[in-house]
Formats: sequence, C-alpha cells, structure tokens
Amino acid sequence: MSVATPALPVPRRWWTARRRGYLLAFLFIAPALVNFLVFRYLPILAALRSSLWQYSLLGGYGEFIGLAAYRRMLEDPIFWTSLRVTALYVLLKVPAQVALSLLFAVLLQRETRFAAVVRSAVFAPVVASIVVVSVIWALMYHVQLGLLNSILTSLGLPRIAFLSNPRLALVAIVVMMVWKELGFSMIILMAGLKGIPEMFYEAARIDGASPWQQFRAITLPLLRRVLMFVLVTQTIFSFQVFVPVYTMTRGGPLDATKVIVYYIYQNGFLFQDMGYAAAISMVTLAILLVVSGVQMRLLRSEVEY
Amino acid sequence: MSSGRVAEARAVLPVRWGAGAAAVLARWARGAGREWWWYLTGVVILVLYVTPFAWMILGSLRREVEIFEYTYPLTWRTFVPVQWTLKNFLDVLGLSPEGRAFGLNFGRALAVTAFVSAAVVLSSLVVNTMGAYFFARLDFPRKEALLLVVIATMLIPFEAVMVPLYIVVRALGVQDTVWALILPWYASPFVIFALVQFFKEIPRELDEAAIIDGASFFGVLRHVIVPNAVPGLVTTALLEFQFIWNLFYWPLIAVGRKELQTIQVAIAQQTTQTQIYWGRIFAGSVLASVPIILLFLLMQRYYVRGVVLSGVKG
Repeated sequence: MSVATPALPVPRRWWTARRRGYLLAFLFIAPALVNFLVFRYLPILAALRSSLWQYSLLGGYGEFIGLAAYRRMLEDPIFWTSLRVTALYVLLKVPAQVALSLLFAVLLQRETRFAAVVRSAVFAPVVASIVVVSVIWALMYHVQLGLLNSILTSLGLPRIAFLSNPRLALVAIVVMMVWKELGFSMIILMAGLKGIPEMFYEAARIDGASPWQQFRAITLPLLRRVLMFVLVTQTIFSFQVFVPVYTMTRGGPLDATKVIVYYIYQNGFLFQDMGYAAAISMVTLAILLVVSGVQMRLLRSEVEY
Repeated sequence: MSSGRVAEARAVLPVRWGAGAAAVLARWARGAGREWWWYLTGVVILVLYVTPFAWMILGSLRREVEIFEYTYPLTWRTFVPVQWTLKNFLDVLGLSPEGRAFGLNFGRALAVTAFVSAAVVLSSLVVNTMGAYFFARLDFPRKEALLLVVIATMLIPFEAVMVPLYIVVRALGVQDTVWALILPWYASPFVIFALVQFFKEIPRELDEAAIIDGASFFGVLRHVIVPNAVPGLVTTALLEFQFIWNLFYWPLIAVGRKELQTIQVAIAQQTTQTQIYWGRIFAGSVLASVPIILLFLLMQRYYVRGVVLSGVKG
C-alpha cells in the first residue's frame, strides 16, 4: 500500500463499505477468539513464564531462574517414573481399546434390535462421568468387599488386591478405562465401516472369500485411515489420564500409577510448587504436540479411497 | 435377508413389540446353529456392561450393612436389596440427621453443576454459532489463517495445561467464583468446527435471498442459518452439556469453596475420607450419572452423530 498524502481525506478513503463489512464480520468471531487467546494460548505463555522465573501462588513472580526447573526435572527420578508409567499406560490401553472396539464394531454393526441394545449399553459408560465410573470400579476392585472378589471366590479362586498390588494397580486402571472408553472408538469405527461400499463384500463373496479373508482384504485396508485416526487421538487422550489415578490410587502403591498429569497436580496443588508444575506441563505439552504433528503427517499422507 | 419372515411374523402378531420379539426369537431359533455364538457374545458384552451399573443402582437402594452382609457368597442377593430404602439418598442430599451431621449437600452440588452446564451450553450456542457462521459464510481477509488458529487450539492438550490455566484464572482474579467454572469454556474450537460442517450443508441461495430482502448478517444467521441447523445445534449442545457436567479436574482446582463444589467433586471427596460410606457413594453416583445416561438414551440419534463428527472430522 502506498503512503497516503496529507491532502487526501484518509479516513473516508480507508473506511470503505467493504472494510465496514469486514469489521462487522470480525465481530462474529471476536468473542470466541478472545476465549481461545485468554484461556488456551495465554496459559502456555504463563506456564513458560512460571517455569523460567521463580513463581508461587502467594508470592507471585520472583527472580529469573532460567532453566533450573527443567534441569531439576532431568534429575528427578519421580518425573522419569511418571513418564514411564504414563507410557506404559498408553501402551497397554490404546492397542487393547482399539482392537476390542474394532471387534465390537464389526460384531454389533447389524441392524437388529438386540445389537442396538448392546451398542447402547457399551456406550453408556462413555456418557457417565469418569469420576462415577472410577469410583464404582474402585469399590468393585475392593480387596474384601468388592464384587470382583466375590465372583473370584465363588469360582474357587483366591482374592486379589487389585489396587494395592504395585504390579496390578496400573493394569486394573487400564481394564477399567478400556471398559469405559471402548464405546467411543467403537462408534467412530462403525461410521468408518458404514463408509465401505457393500459391493466390495459382494464381489469377495462371489469369489468365495471367507469372512476372515474379507476382513483382512477389505475391511482392514479400507478402515486404515479411521483406525489410524482413532489410534493417534486415543494416544494423545490417554497420555493425559488423571481422574482414575486421583480417585482410585492417588499415584500409589509405590508410585506404580503415578502418571504425568497426576504428578503435575501433586507438585502444583499438594506441594505448592507451581513453578515446577508449570515446567512439567510445558514438557508434557511439547511431547503431545510432537505426537499431534506426527498424526497430521500420517493422516495427510493416507490416500482416500 | 429375513425381511419376508419378519413381515410374516408381524402379520401373525400385529402388536409391534410382540412382532419384534417374535422376529428376534424366530431368527434366533433359525440361526441357532450358525448364529448362536453371535448372540452369546452379545449377551456376554451386555452382562459386562450392565452389571456395574446394576450393582451401583441396586446398591444405592439398600442399607449399607446389607451391601457387606451379602458380598459372600455370590448370589442374587449380592445385587438385590432385602430391604429397599432411600436412606442413602436422604443422607447425601442432606435431608437426614446423619447427612446433615456430615455436612452433605449433593442437592446444592447438583444445582451448581446444572447451572454451570446450562450457562456454558447457552453461551456456547451463541458464541460458537456466531463463530461458525463467520467461517462458513462471511467474507474476511486471511480467514484461512484464523481458521488455522481455531484448529491449532484443538491440538492443545486439555488436562496437561490445567495448572497453567489455573495460573491465568488466578491472575484474572476469578478463582473460587462461579465465573472460574464458566469463563474458560464459553467457546469451544470443537463446537465451532462441527457447526461449520453443519452450516456448509445449508444452501447459499437461502442466504442470498434473505440479503436481497434486506437482511443483515445477524438477520441471516437468525432467520436462515439457525432454523436450518437445529439438529447440529442440538447435537453440539448435548455434547457440551455432557462435557461440562462430567468435568472433574478443573472444578477440583478452580474452586475450593464448598458452596461451589460440583457433583463430580462432591462424589470424589467421599472416597478420600478415612471411613468410606459405600451407600452414599452409590447414591451420589446414581444422582450424577443416571440423568445424563437417560438424556443420552433419549437423544441417542443426535449423540452418535456428534461423536462421529467430532471424531472423524475433528
């Protein structure tokens, strides 16, 4: 744009009907943008600042400490434990959930009333809150009075201390979370299944392909994009698990369920160390953004059928 | 494949439910050799999913000593109360002397949660609808860049930035107020993105006709877009309501005052005490989950569409 000469009535030329339209249009998006800037982007800047300067809730910001909080993280064995526990949780939960939800989706795809009832039942825990589900499961897992141990005993098996055994606690949480969130991925996979043209299956049946062969040759390859999507979003989602750890184990026994978001909470709100909590948040954010970046690349490179 | 036989069964039994049941039975009997495993699997899945809820609901309707008394051996009495009672509900709602002695007031927690959820849904309906209208219809330089800002917002991991969000909300001075529960969620990138998809399906000719008739942007939004996007708006409102109703981590840290405790926080708090009252946990869980599950069952069609949209396209 050229520089306006003082002789010209600048405002009138600049303020055109089109610009007025732009301003009116912008008013429609402005409230949402303010929300995103203040409550989604600003926290990231705040976390960066709180991790580089001394910070406490009551004292506010103090002197510049640079990367001290991040160096502390490197030497903090519990931070590494929490990363390991989180990775283990994701590696146990996501493949199990995706495989089972694919199985459920294929099984329950039929247009019968019974299939619809089962589908609704599988989806009910998705709608119920994670607090309710985890609290009820904590009681089901109870070593003396839980329903699961009542079942085990009636089968002549010994009772199991699901949540107080360091080797079992994380698995117990994984089982519960797969049970809870399976319905969500099942519905998405079902939508994907519906998108596969029926004629492929007809052609395969004419060629004498068995159901398993049809699944391998048609369903899996054509569902790959949706499967990939579910896999990556569930990974990002599961990496941030917090509530079941809070309600069921509090990170114990022996840090066996101390996932990263619980460790952030613990530092920020139980140890009153907001600066360190912010630093761990930043690292978690960075890890998850890398995963998201990989996701975008994978999804874009997939060819649609 | 079996529609002929279904019609046959329907002719015999004109009542719709009877016909459905007869058709299921007939199909079951016919396919028993080939299909029995499918029904068996379905029944097993059903049992796995219904049992915890049945245990919770029936457990909330019996005295606590009964829950413990009938844990062993496993019989139908493990589930079904001997003496039905609403005592647990009276306790958690603070309507019994014991409930009052413990300072329990789940009624207030439910009211707070309902108020906050309704407020967010309402503001979301206004703000996100306007935002989606902007992206779907209005003219603006570098609109794609703005859309990218919205999409990038969806990539910010949610639970991982709760502590930083708390730092911001504290800086704004609204922590420990009802605003802290509403303000961060009054707009949502997911809802905007979903609504843009719905709005794009409305033919542009309708807008143009309205503009020729002298309608403003707002007039078009009100009289053309909104009436034609009711299913989309219902879907996103439902998902948003469920999201806020079930939120736990944020209300846990954002407010400390008991008067502003949401139902989820109130339930979780019951598990942290030295003595855990099972009956009260069951009753609180029923109050928090049964309404929302019923809402889902009633509005299932919208719900599933919303999940698919946020899943496949988001």
